[in-house]
Amino acid sequence: MSQFFQATIYGLLQGGLLALIAAGFSLVWGVMNVVNLAHGAFVLVGAYLAWELSRVGVDPFLGMLVAALALFAAGYAIQRLLVNLVVNAPVFITLLLTFGLELLLVNGLILLFSADYRSIRTSYASRSLVLAGDVRVPVGRLLAFAVAIGITLALVALVRRTRTGLAIMATGMDRGAARLMGIRARHVYALTFGIGAAIAGAAGAMVGTVDTFSPADAGRFTLFSFVVAVLGGLGNMYGALLGGLVLGLVEAWGSQYLPGTLVNAVAFAVLVAVLIVRPSGLIGRAHYAARVEV
Amino acid sequence: MTSERGEAAAVPGLTRRADAGRDEVPDGGAARHGGKAPPSAASTRSPVTQRAWLPWAVGGLVLAACFGLQSQLYAGQERTVATVFMFVGLAQAWNLIGGYTGYACFGQVVFFGLGGYTTAALMAHAHVSFWLALPASGLLAAIWAALIGLPLLPLKGHYFAVATLGVAEGTREVVTNLPSLTGGGAGISIPTVGADATTGYLGNDGFYVLFLLLAAVSVLVVAIVSASKLGFALRAINQDEDAAASLGVHTTRTKVSVFALSGFLTGLLGAAYGFQQVTIFPARLFDVNFTVLMVIMVIIGGSGTVVGPVIGAAFLQFVSEYLRQHFTEAHPFILGAIVIVAVILLPQGVVSYAGSAWRNRDFSLLDNIRKYRL
Amino acid sequence: MLALLASGCGSKGERAQTGSPDSLVLGASMSLTGSLAREGLLTKEGYDLCQATVNAKGGVPIGDRKYRLDIRYQDDTSKPDTAGTLVDQFNDQGVKLILGPYGSATTEAAAAVVERNHQVMADSAGADDKIFEKGYTRTFAVLSPATRYAASIVKAIAELAQPRPKRIAFLSADDGFSKTVTAGGTAEAKAQGMEVVATEYFPNGASDVSASLTKVKSKQPDVIIGSVHLVEGVAIIKQAKELGITPAGGFGETVAPPTPDFVQTLGPIAENVLGSTQWTPQTSGEDDWFGTAADYVTAFKTKFGRVPEYHNAEATAACLTLVLGAQQAGTTDPDKIRDAVAGLNAASFFGPITFDPTGKNVAKPMAVIQIQHGKPVTVWPKSDAEAPLIWPGLS
Repeated sequence: MSQFFQATIYGLLQGGLLALIAAGFSLVWGVMNVVNLAHGAFVLVGAYLAWELSRVGVDPFLGMLVAALALFAAGYAIQRLLVNLVVNAPVFITLLLTFGLELLLVNGLILLFSADYRSIRTSYASRSLVLAGDVRVPVGRLLAFAVAIGITLALVALVRRTRTGLAIMATGMDRGAARLMGIRARHVYALTFGIGAAIAGAAGAMVGTVDTFSPADAGRFTLFSFVVAVLGGLGNMYGALLGGLVLGLVEAWGSQYLPGTLVNAVAFAVLVAVLIVRPSGLIGRAHYAARVEV
Repeated sequence: MTSERGEAAAVPGLTRRADAGRDEVPDGGAARHGGKAPPSAASTRSPVTQRAWLPWAVGGLVLAACFGLQSQLYAGQERTVATVFMFVGLAQAWNLIGGYTGYACFGQVVFFGLGGYTTAALMAHAHVSFWLALPASGLLAAIWAALIGLPLLPLKGHYFAVATLGVAEGTREVVTNLPSLTGGGAGISIPTVGADATTGYLGNDGFYVLFLLLAAVSVLVVAIVSASKLGFALRAINQDEDAAASLGVHTTRTKVSVFALSGFLTGLLGAAYGFQQVTIFPARLFDVNFTVLMVIMVIIGGSGTVVGPVIGAAFLQFVSEYLRQHFTEAHPFILGAIVIVAVILLPQGVVSYAGSAWRNRDFSLLDNIRKYRL
Repeated sequence: MLALLASGCGSKGERAQTGSPDSLVLGASMSLTGSLAREGLLTKEGYDLCQATVNAKGGVPIGDRKYRLDIRYQDDTSKPDTAGTLVDQFNDQGVKLILGPYGSATTEAAAAVVERNHQVMADSAGADDKIFEKGYTRTFAVLSPATRYAASIVKAIAELAQPRPKRIAFLSADDGFSKTVTAGGTAEAKAQGMEVVATEYFPNGASDVSASLTKVKSKQPDVIIGSVHLVEGVAIIKQAKELGITPAGGFGETVAPPTPDFVQTLGPIAENVLGSTQWTPQTSGEDDWFGTAADYVTAFKTKFGRVPEYHNAEATAACLTLVLGAQQAGTTDPDKIRDAVAGLNAASFFGPITFDPTGKNVAKPMAVIQIQHGKPVTVWPKSDAEAPLIWPGLS
């Protein structure tokens, strides 16, 4: 039984991190209908930034803030200067653009940092809280989980209560109408992309603290972001959180009770099942599927 | 008469030419047979007879040229060109479902991998000849396409893309977990020497011809589909599925059949690839990068056209091969930059751009940016 | 159009010169980008050092002339099919001597092509025994085969550990190489009279092995052996600590512990972990080109500014094999070089280089290290040991 609890705890903690990784991706896809294939690369850039800072003694949870800011600026610039050029093109053009961007970023990272695996070492991350039945809760993962929840709640608050957030949602629902209302769509899009990149950067810092990373992981992060975003419903931050937790739990239980190598198959089976039964995601809203664009 | 036709040609697609057997659907550039130049206004021959055989003749010439090319190449280059042919075939297969029908399948590689593994399993375990395993692999891939198409094709847009991606990844995992059948993560080897080998290894020359023929078959299939009623139905579905349904197009049946066809072609190529590699691993044969490359090739070349994917595949493969040879460490970096520039300047693809630029005599690339930016 | 196409593609057809008549060209298809980029670069460094050392001494003496060593690199992007194509392309250019790529999958692909083209390959990093069960006669591996990786650790424990552990568990990645390693390890454990209480597999490259660890925890092994690569190796130690898994004898892993990243990433929790390695600076053996293992370390440090890992050494050894083969054959004819290499019985800084009929180097033992005070220290074979084994591994 304690095996089950251990797996559940691990699954939830890992799920929180997955949710954080995917939140920005889901936001950008939901609001702008841009599938950002370079999202995993943003996560990695955040991880490397936090790693560099940790080498000069900055704690990764502080480094996370720096990474988020830097990536916000970079994301804003990329959207404003690059992605904006193809927003009105057939939808898969943005896909290709971000694919090219991913090649640039990942290989740029390899050239800069080499393909070695890195990890951010902290004195506290490997310690564990011990619960009943010798079930362990690693401190590093718990903190990352807390950060994930915090950022998700902050995002939801941003989107629902601030003018900027409302502008983002409005532009996501109907760009033409939003522009008629005086919302500067170019700026809002760039903001959204920047926020997505910032969250990815923060997630990267967290990943660096609890796991090892290397440039080869970018594709994996993007793939999981796909799954979590669709599971939870595009553009929906609570959805991303829920999707991440579901994925984390499914993977943890799956690898406990099935042969260890089947775990990914289970995750994808869940994804496909959800898509067939409820394509807008577990708690997604259908209006993103019928978007009017001008 | 001629000036009338000239005018008609200048207003693309909006007037129905009674003597053209088929309509040109006004979607801004989908070429029919190959994006060849429209008949000049001064031509006195009827456009149909002038156009009908020209693309086929050109195609035949290109095919003959590729056969002749083989004698000019050394073995390593032969492999490179054979890979180009393979991607031409793959891109055309994706073009059917992604370009013409507008259902971007992100899991296309699953048919490739299934084709390869079916051949490998048949040849390694059942000692079947490759020439039997090849069609069997295509068939199995087609069946799988039909099976997953039924629940997934009702999904739209990005959802379809992600669902097929999920199926592809999931299938890879399942294949990895059947080691007795597929060797699992350790891979499976097709016996090419000794008593177990049912078919001699084709060698670089043989595979060159095999991939060339498979690519030719793919292009032919797409050309025939494009010119047929099926192609009309696909284009209609692409533009407005509900309207197409109301016109009497059986959307589900059409989509599933074209998905199965696309899967069949991809499976054939996967089988050939598996035989060429001899030892195959799930991570490689179900690699999502194959799908991404297929998508890029079709889109850069021009989706929904016959010639577009050929150009896209050839261009991308040669460019990446050239870069890999001459910039051994920075080549993916440079390729990424090229993709970005190409996509910004030519978002509708080379063939469509060439078609509409020729028609409107407007070659400006910056106009594309003005048209598509926010 | 025919001519255009033909000339467009044919322009690559100019047969590139195989270097000046005084150079011996070796072709190397390396993983310079892609998932194996890190190890590919390490292998390239090993080849570079070989080239620099040999050329500094005037070149390879073949017959009565000295030939400069000229290694040509191409990037196979860590993909086996590209590796095969590259070996073919080398063949087009008349390059018949091939230095192996990194990793068993790419080496397997390259070996198939080498066999067809009658080239000769010195395998530096493809250890999976399966490569050598196909009847190839033109690929020669300087490194010890995969079956020895985990088995060496088990043997070392059996010989040196007091008290001897009884229960042993294996955690393994699911790629071909790791599976072969595990099979060899479990066989050795049973031969040594230990009980294999669990063998758990996880996907290759997994950074989260908590499920497998949790499953093993309940079986209470004395020692946990990991047939892994760097990522999973680090994950096992890290997550074992997080999950409170403390086998009395500690951990032993393949591939990961000897690398500097292992200690850097894990810090103090890497203490006393055992690892198997193809080579350590204490390996006995000496040759005319590189001297002893310690000399190799010095030379590497001078050129690259850091201490070599075993990936560097095995690459240099592969290059050395071809050099010695050419020397002994006295000609640049690839078939004669092949025969010379097959009959090699040489000592080197890497250990003895001798090949059995399938092309495996069966004379060279693997070494076992233990992380002591943050550094990998050779503990087995006893003749090369720097320090005694610290047992039990977790106190």
